Amino acid sequence: MLPDFATSKPPSVAIERRDGNLYYYRSVRDGEKVRKVYVGAGEFARIFAEGDILRRTGRKAQREREKAELERLEALAAPVEELSEAAEVLVRAHLVDAGYHRRKGEYRRVRSA
Amino acid sequence: MSGVLELSEEARERMAELRGLSEKAEAGDRNARKRLRRLVRSSSPEVIAEASDIARRAEWMLVKTISAREPLMEEALQERMHQMRAEIAGENPTPLEVLLTERVVAGWLLVEVLEGLVSAQYQRDVKAHRVPPGHVMQQSRILESATRRYLAAIRELARVRKLQAGMPVRVNTLNVLAG
Repeated sequence: MLPDFATSKPPSVAIERRDGNLYYYRSVRDGEKVRKVYVGAGEFARIFAEGDILRRTGRKAQREREKAELERLEALAAPVEELSEAAEVLVRAHLVDAGYHRRKGEYRRVRSA
Repeated sequence: MSGVLELSEEARERMAELRGLSEKAEAGDRNARKRLRRLVRSSSPEVIAEASDIARRAEWMLVKTISAREPLMEEALQERMHQMRAEIAGENPTPLEVLLTERVVAGWLLVEVLEGLVSAQYQRDVKAHRVPPGHVMQQSRILESATRRYLAAIRELARVRKLQAGMPVRVNTLNVLAG
């Protein structure tokens, strides 16, 4: 029986040539073990192998697109984070200088200041 | 991240110094309080100016992203932000208020951009493929963080105004910076 090819993780593929014929196997992980599953021979082997390679390449490209997208979002957020950090330090310095101190997240006036 | 969107090494050093002195002064170190006072007067206007400049540059980058370089959209966004700044900062804002206003405006724009990009991606890909849950989580984390910072920026500005209103000394301190 053929393994489920629609699974999210593509199986490893191998084409073997024996006695002038092509045989195509997929390596499928079954718990701790890796099983070699026969898929097809001859022209079918070539078609299945190419199909798997295309799917694998497509998934890799998709992962790269997603990674680039996340990097883009992070790059957009980074300057605003830098600005926020600077503002927090400056506000605190001004408030402490003006005689306030933080208590349970709130600024209160220091009587002696 | 581009170099123009980062604080200079000098500004970072001053910020680290301000942070350290604030902590010590809050803990009751009188010497640190005196040094903090000097540093607030001598260095913080420059750091504020530099941070405000970064805010403007970051906003410009976000405007370019959200408008996809459409001139009309760029114009409209610039005008919207100009109005927001004027409304939020009010009349005669101190440099610190200007910085906090820029932070609010940049935060708002960032949340808008992120929401737009994330939702557009789902619309585009709805038939093509299913976005993996891990990717959705990462996007949500970035958006959530931006939203949290935006709300914190609003709270901080409100807090500074509230404290200024009840404390003439503080207003004077900030007015020194304005001069």
